[in-house]
Amino acid sequence: MLSDDELLRYSRHLLLEDVGKTGQEALKKANVLIIGMGGLGSPASLYLAAAGIGHLVLSDFDNIEVSNLQRQITYQSDDIGESKVEVTKRKLQQINPDIKVRSINKAMPEEQLTMELTMADLVLDCTDNMAARQMINKACVNAKVPLIVGAAIRLEGQLMFFDHSHADSSCYHCLFPDSEEQTLNCSNSGIIGPVVGTIGTLQALEAIKYFVGLPSGIKNKLKLFDGKSLDWQTFAINKDPKCTVCGQH
Amino acid sequence: MKIHVNEQIVELADNSNIEQLLTYLDKPLMGSAIAVNQEIISRSHWADTILNEGDNISLFQAIAGG
Ligand SMILES: [Zn+2]
Repeated sequence: MLSDDELLRYSRHLLLEDVGKTGQEALKKANVLIIGMGGLGSPASLYLAAAGIGHLVLSDFDNIEVSNLQRQITYQSDDIGESKVEVTKRKLQQINPDIKVRSINKAMPEEQLTMELTMADLVLDCTDNMAARQMINKACVNAKVPLIVGAAIRLEGQLMFFDHSHADSSCYHCLFPDSEEQTLNCSNSGIIGPVVGTIGTLQALEAIKYFVGLPSGIKNKLKLFDGKSLDWQTFAINKDPKCTVCGQH
Repeated sequence: MKIHVNEQIVELADNSNIEQLLTYLDKPLMGSAIAVNQEIISRSHWADTILNEGDNISLFQAIAGG
């Protein structure tokens, strides 16, 4: 049930046939784990808190640095040196005191991640390195928890949705089987804020759609965003039967 | 045969597979993903996926940043 305050707060959701009271109540019941509180996790967590996702768990081990402020829009100059998850938690509660926010101020080892997944309905991968991405993918496949993956570099973005509650879902490892850190990241390649912000924002949109029961157009697909042309490319990701993470091995 | 790789025309021997294309283009296998006509081809199928005249190939790198 929604309180009078909530009916007012979420009135613009309630006006939508696609959300309505049922959708808002589903958002209130939802548990979302967001891993990484950088350029993706900033807009994703702000939008999900504002939308009334009832339980948010935030994970990151970094403290805020001045070079983060060009794109990680949750933070301001006087937050420098503080923990990202603690500052984010405080700001999300200021935006929406009705939701529960829990912070994990460390790099989660696999066992802890697996434990967290028993409580999560959905995971957003907002991390900044390949090793973490592979570990999160594997844990979500094993725990059958849906995973929305975002990534961005320079003026390019990537967005994927793997619904691991379905056994026939493909996975991140079917697409990118390498765990070696030969890939591009923000500290070695640079990034423009609104590019990573666009991807993080769309991770939040896909999460909201998932809980209110709207179909996703990107399951088992990779969306590539070109920040120069604003063009999107879409690729189908078929399950690789030989995948060492999700295949029949 | 002629194929398109990231919208550039590439002339390639008939019956080439994806691994041969990457070698020809001198692209690293590591960290790369490849799609033929908008469908991702998993790494395990690069050697047995034969390319055809007019195929649209998209070749890109994994991005880890966020
Ligand atoms: Zn897989």
